[in-house]
Amino acid sequence: MAISRRAESIDLGVSLGEEAARRSRSGQLRRWLPIGIGIVMAVAMVVLAAAAPLIAPLSPSAQYADAVLKGPGAVERHLLGTDEFGRDILSRIIWGARVSLQVGLASVFWGFLVGVPLGILAGTRGGAIETAIMRCADMLMAFPTLLLALIIVTALGGTLANEIMAIGIALTPNFVRLARSLALTIREQDYIMAARALGGGQLRVMARHVFPNALYALVVVATLYIATAIRTEASLSFLGLGIPPPTPSWGNILSEGRQYIKCCPWITTFSGLAIMLAVLAFNLVGDALRDLLDPRLRGE
Amino acid sequence: MLQYVLRRVVVAVPMLLGAMSIVFFAMRILPGDPCVAMMGDQATTEALADCTKNLGLHRPLAVQYVDYIWRSVQFDFGNSLRQGYPVSEYIARMFPHTLVLVMSSAVVAALIGIPIGIVSALKRRSPLIDYPLRIIALLGLSMPVFWLGILLLIVFSLHLDIFPLIGGGDLDGVIHMLKNGEAFTSPGDFLAAVGDVLYHLALPAIALGFTLAATVSRLSRSAMLEVISQDYIRTARAKGQAERAVVYKHAFRNMMVPLLTIIGLFVAVALTGTVLTETVFTRPGLGKMLVDAIGARDYPLAQGAITVFTMTIILVNLIVDLLYAVVDPRITYR
Repeated sequence: MAISRRAESIDLGVSLGEEAARRSRSGQLRRWLPIGIGIVMAVAMVVLAAAAPLIAPLSPSAQYADAVLKGPGAVERHLLGTDEFGRDILSRIIWGARVSLQVGLASVFWGFLVGVPLGILAGTRGGAIETAIMRCADMLMAFPTLLLALIIVTALGGTLANEIMAIGIALTPNFVRLARSLALTIREQDYIMAARALGGGQLRVMARHVFPNALYALVVVATLYIATAIRTEASLSFLGLGIPPPTPSWGNILSEGRQYIKCCPWITTFSGLAIMLAVLAFNLVGDALRDLLDPRLRGE
Repeated sequence: MLQYVLRRVVVAVPMLLGAMSIVFFAMRILPGDPCVAMMGDQATTEALADCTKNLGLHRPLAVQYVDYIWRSVQFDFGNSLRQGYPVSEYIARMFPHTLVLVMSSAVVAALIGIPIGIVSALKRRSPLIDYPLRIIALLGLSMPVFWLGILLLIVFSLHLDIFPLIGGGDLDGVIHMLKNGEAFTSPGDFLAAVGDVLYHLALPAIALGFTLAATVSRLSRSAMLEVISQDYIRTARAKGQAERAVVYKHAFRNMMVPLLTIIGLFVAVALTGTVLTETVFTRPGLGKMLVDAIGARDYPLAQGAITVFTMTIILVNLIVDLLYAVVDPRITYR
């Protein structure tokens, strides 16, 4: 294979040095393009959510009796059409980004905040503490994320805080497992032994040495979990268990639009597209970061 | 080997108990009295007290918990608050629908995901092939199954009128025909019934299968990448074997071993997917039953559905662990 490629390059009169440079350029492009696209999309979503009151053309709850179930552009002021109450779909989608992003970021933060210390403790201390923590994590891992979040939201009720907590709890065991496996590797390093030899206590070693060295990989994986959290929130709202209407969330816009798919498919199409693009953005960033920064995680 | 099997079973049991405990306590903190939910606000105090007693809710929580665990392992989840008949009967009727959906989506996912994963791994240095394939996989991973389902319904059911909008076909009839032997005595009717089930199954299986294919393709890609870097592949190439034979005879077979471990993960994701897929396509099944039960606050039914979901996932993971040890002799039975 290599020989034929080389022969080809000689036949074409391209020097090997030039080809290597071209390959390196295309390699760079392959590495940076997805992360660039992902970051632009994710930043756009953050801006959309943060500046919703400024960007949204109309109020998400304002009802226009003269424009009930109008298609995209049928009425000039409603670019993406309206729903059964004459509410502007574009404005609702822009405001819906707030819910998705809030839940996505806050639930991952929750999972990180609870899961990482427990995982590092398990990995560094070992013994009975490790067994207890890991068995609890395994128990929660028996439930897929959506199912566990669904149980918790059902039990506590569908509010923003409960949704964040439910998805956060469902994500926690993933962080526990990852932090533990990283801590298990890090604790064998010489610098940990040195820190201990210098009289560093258990807590100090974990906080000052194990955690900073595990942070890199943990942040990469956290980005991917933002995508999972956004998708889970949308699923809960779609099932009618998330934030109740009239507060717009992408899942509940889509769920409400289901009854009108025959006459007015734009309601479900645009809200679903918003979910997909948001999930795609964080998947792209997470994937690219993982490949770029931490080759150890490629198989995760 | 026996010791390994026993150890895996011993680990699975507390996990199952723990998961069931989570379900029990989550259902106990549900807002609202189940008796009020069942009998309505107008029910008299006496009637509510009778109901509480009948359901055993007057007993201490610990007693209720032990009772629930004991009954659950015997597949006795009590009676549905709304329908009145045993939850286990309802589950037994719904489970085949969900099983058929999971299996057919697995076929779709494998047919799409494995070839994409293999080609993407083998052509990883050809951006024109690898890139579009990875983008398809990423789209599948990012696309919510309920949205894809709705898009399929809009195109194929509403506009083209090729597939049905709701329902799951007469699966009960097919099972009945298989049980009483009618499948063999009147094969025409049986095939028609099977055809009807498949007709109703096509869109849900494609929707769920496509979103799962993304995961399968990624795992196949990494499994293939790992396998083709092995020495025996180099040996096969060195002895002059054609690339096709290297891929199909050596790499593909060995790639399937690590892929086996994902079946557990796959079943967990697919079962979760059925909750959404069955809701979108208004198909009977455990997932839709769970959502309906939660909506109706029929907690014995919801509890039963979640317990069966969890049991299935833990059991499949256990089987996969054991199977993995059988398939790959290099696994040490630690």
